[in-house]
This record gives sequence, structure tokens and C-alpha cells, in this order.
Amino acid sequence: MKPNLVYLTGGSLISLLLGIIVTIIIPAQDPAGPSPSAQPYSEEESRGRDIYLREGCHYCHTQQVREPEAGRGMVHQRGDIGPESVPGDFYHQSPVFWGTLRQGMDLAHVASRPGIGDNAGWHELHFRNPRAVSPGTVMPSYDYLSAEEIQSLTAYILTLR
Amino acid sequence: MFRLVSLEPGSASLRFCYAAVFWLLVPGVLGLILATFLYLPAVADSLPLAVKPYLSFGRLRPAHVNVAIFGWLSQVYFAAILFILPRLTRTPLYSERIAHANWWLWNLMVAGSLVSLPMGLTQGREYAEMIWPLDLLFVLNIVLLAVNIWGTVARRREPKIYVSIWNFMAATMVTVPIYAVGNKIWDPSGAYRGMNDNIVNYFYVHNLFNAWFTTAGVGLALYLLPKLSGKALYSHRLGLWGLWSVWTGQHHQLYSPAPDWLEYLTIVFSILAAVPTTAFMVNFFMTMRSRWHLAAEDVALRFLVTGAIFWGLTCVQGVSHSFRTFSMVVHFTNWVVGHSHLAFVASYSFWAFALIYLMVRELTGRAAYSRRLMEWHYWLTTLGMLIFMISMWVAGLIQGQNWSTYSMPFLQTVITMKPYFGARLLGGAMAGIGILCFAENVRRAARSRQPVTAPTNAWSGQ
Repeated sequence: MKPNLVYLTGGSLISLLLGIIVTIIIPAQDPAGPSPSAQPYSEEESRGRDIYLREGCHYCHTQQVREPEAGRGMVHQRGDIGPESVPGDFYHQSPVFWGTLRQGMDLAHVASRPGIGDNAGWHELHFRNPRAVSPGTVMPSYDYLSAEEIQSLTAYILTLR
Repeated sequence: MFRLVSLEPGSASLRFCYAAVFWLLVPGVLGLILATFLYLPAVADSLPLAVKPYLSFGRLRPAHVNVAIFGWLSQVYFAAILFILPRLTRTPLYSERIAHANWWLWNLMVAGSLVSLPMGLTQGREYAEMIWPLDLLFVLNIVLLAVNIWGTVARRREPKIYVSIWNFMAATMVTVPIYAVGNKIWDPSGAYRGMNDNIVNYFYVHNLFNAWFTTAGVGLALYLLPKLSGKALYSHRLGLWGLWSVWTGQHHQLYSPAPDWLEYLTIVFSILAAVPTTAFMVNFFMTMRSRWHLAAEDVALRFLVTGAIFWGLTCVQGVSHSFRTFSMVVHFTNWVVGHSHLAFVASYSFWAFALIYLMVRELTGRAAYSRRLMEWHYWLTTLGMLIFMISMWVAGLIQGQNWSTYSMPFLQTVITMKPYFGARLLGGAMAGIGILCFAENVRRAARSRQPVTAPTNAWSGQ
């Protein structure tokens, strides 16, 4: 091989390898354990989480509260977006649903919002007919899910405390 | 007669062109459906139960993205790389057979994703939704393409390696490990655990963009530029400058639970990314100097120029998002939707339009484009995308400001989006009609029996 080709191949691969070491492997060495709110999922919650994944809920809902908005951001009332997300919150999750877009509200601590987020009945109604309980929302209705599926999904949502 | 494999030079490249144009219609239609659902949720509600799950927003959204970036854009890249290689090396393609195998396997993967994603079969990670067997097909395909690139370069009769070829070689070589690590292809679940899952996901998202769409894409633009402007590239050294990518994935998730030091590191690298992107823009403008008037006549060159200007804006936005303060305002808002369409549609797809016009004409040897359809394609797509993107940027700034008052109920901030969703639907529909003009033009060229008669005036059409 010509020297140019050696530089190209070697340079690209070394640059890639350094990128993987510095931005993936080193952060993975952090020994953070689960935070108090992170509990292993029950079978039903786990099924609900799979439905959340299958239906792509994470394309419109984030599950991460950033430091500047923590304790201040408003969903229904000021500050109810909840505390800042920390690595331990996601200890039991694979994949994680951090998300990139909030067409809908952040769900990291949805089950801590009194009267609405912590209310299983509200969620079941909302999944079937979102506009009946939240006029003006753009969320699709999930009336095609079976009663069991709605129940599992609700069980999962209630783990987001 | 249609054969599984043809050994005719250029035949695989031409098939990639046609397949790309065909697949482009899919994300176009899906995008319009998604935009309609956001503007008028009642439309989604009123769908019959039998089809509702398969047309659900959360399932169509990844199908829209995957078919757009892999079915359309990547196939133009395949077509163009296979088209450009023999021309710049003055050597036949290493293997037309491998290129055809590439075509079948790549389209199998795209069709697989279009079937599996609406069925809810997904790994659920951005750009990495495709299920495991399709992940394996992706890697196999890029390896096959790399064999063709490196094989052709090894046999080349032209001693000098043009800058575009460097870009193709580098792009294919690093895309394989980036995809493999990003999709955890040794594990069918495709996901890591906890915080690391997101860190790896955005390492992959950004570098798929960097290594594949940008490194190869800049290679394509640096081929088109002298070809369409009739002027040699201003600087090869500047061209090579543009080749080096940086490691900035985590800037997609600023203020996230990931370590602060990682965010600071990626912010520094994102600012450094201004160097190669500026180099490309300088190269572009200096090469175009005294040739701007050609863009008035030549629609393909006009797409290239417009795409390059949008590309410059993509990079300016990209660097600005890497600052925590600005990110805090626009992140999670519809601004991001505007930014991603700026990059994938208004920049890379505009270059792809220029490439398809050029390649189909040269590979079929027939000139049948309608100049009028080309103009409609250009203006509808450009104006439509401008309306789309500006409405999303304005919407995003309003959303970000509304959230940061910490005193407006979230639902109210959603209701505020309605007129912008309407404007986006209008812009998207315009761009969609433009794309139909493009597809019809390519279809006509493919069917035509009229040979190219006046190559010097080819772009003025009929």
C-alpha cells in the first residue's frame, strides 16, 4: 500500500477507536447503582414496557428531566416535571426511552403527579380516547389495544415515579 | 428482459437509481400522513380498527425515517459510488456481480424494514430500529460495497486518487464498525443497559450521519461540483480537510443524565467541526466563482448549489445546538424536526436529485427529461421545504420559550403548535408534489427511446 493509503486507513481507524474508547467505554466504567426509585420490573410492567416500545411512545415523550428545568418545569402545575434524572434511574432499563422530542409531556416522573399521572383509571381512559380527557392533545387513540394490553401499559406507566 | 444479475457496466448503478426514486415516494407519503395526524388527530382516530395499529404514529415515524435514509438516500449513494468509481479510476468496476448482489440485499433490507416497523417489530432506538436480521444485512451490504470500492481502486489505471474516492473509502471503512457497535449486532435485542444504551445510541446516530451521510455525501458533492460547473475543484487540500470527522454524539443529549465531562468534550469537538465544514464551503464557493450563472440554466447544478447552501446552514445550526444554553431552548422542540429535514432533505437529498438526473441520463444514454417538470420539481421542493423548515423553527422557538416560562400548562403549549403543524403540512405537500414531478421525469427518461443528441445543452431538456 502507498503511504497515503496507510495514513488514511490507520488515521480513520485510530480516530474511530479513540472515539469508542473515550465516548463509550470510559463512561461505561461508572459504577452507579440503581437509584431508590428504580425497581426491577414485574412481569406485567415488563409486558407494558414492551408495548410502550412497540407502539413507539418514545418518539413523542421523553423520559429525562434536565437540570435547569428540574423542579421548575410545568406539566399541570409549576415544578411537577419532577427532579433531575440521574443515571441510576435507568439501571434496570434496556433500551432506555430518553427520547428527543416532546410532542407530549415528559414522562420521567409521570406517576408522581397527583390526581392524574398516579391515577390508573385516568390513564386507561386516556389511552382509549385521549381527547375526551385532554381536549386539544395530538396523541393518537390506542383503542386498538386489548384490555389486558392497556392494563399492562398502565402498570408500566405507574412505575415512572 | 429483466435478469437477476447483469454484467453490463453500469447496470447495477442504474438499478440503484430506479429503486431509490421508487422508495423516495414511501417516506414522502408517510411524512404527509404523519403531518396530517399531528395537525388533525381526528383523522387518525377515524381510521378503521383493522388498519389503525399499522398506521399508528409511533410505528410509522420510524418507517418514515428508515425508508428515507436507507431506501432513498443511501441507495443514491450506492448508485453514485458505483457510477463514479470507474470514471475516476478509469477502470471497470471490480465486480458488477457484487454490485447486483448489493442491490438485491439492500432492497431486501429496506422492504424488510417497511414491513416490520409498522408491525411493531422494532428495537426502538433512533436510526437503529431495524430488527437483528436486517442489522446483519446492513453490515453485509456495506462490506460488499467496500470490497467493490477498494477492489476497483487497487486495479485503477488513473494513478491519482481523486478526493471523492478517499471519502468513499473512508466512509465504508468506518461505517461498518460504527453500525456494529451502535446496533450491538452480536445481540439480537440490539440494546445496551441503562445510561450506556443512550450514550452508544447517540454515538451511533451522530456517526452514521458523520461517516456515511456526510463523508460519502461530501465526496459526491465534490464529484458533482467540477462536473456540473465545468471548473476544476478549487483546492484538493481543502477537500481532504473536509474528510475528517469528529466524535460529537453526546451533543444530541445535553443536560442529560450522562456525565458532564462527556458533554463538555463533545461540545469542544462540535465547535472544532466548524473547521472541516468551513473548508468545504470555501472550496465550494471558490469553485463556483464566475460560474453561478450556470445554475440558472442547469437545474441539476441549481440543486447542487441550493443543497450546498442548506448544508452550510445545517452545519451552523449543528454547531449552535452544541451549546448548552441554546440546546436548552430548542432541544425536544419541533426545531429539531426542522433541522433534521434541513440536513436530510434540503441538503443531502438535493445533491441526490442532481446525481439522479445526471446518472440516469448518462447510464441510459437517453435525454428525455422535461425541462418544465424539472423546474416544477426544483421550485415546489425548495419552496415547500422552506415553508416546512421555517414553520418548524419558529414553532420550536415558541415551544422552547413557552416551556421556559415554567408557568404555562404543557397541554397549552401543544395547542399553540396547531398553525405551525398546518404550515408544515402545506410545505410538505408542496415538496411532495415536487417529488412526484421528479419521479415522473425519471420514469419518462427510463422509458424513452430518444438518444442523447446534444450533450452540451443536455440540461435545457426538450
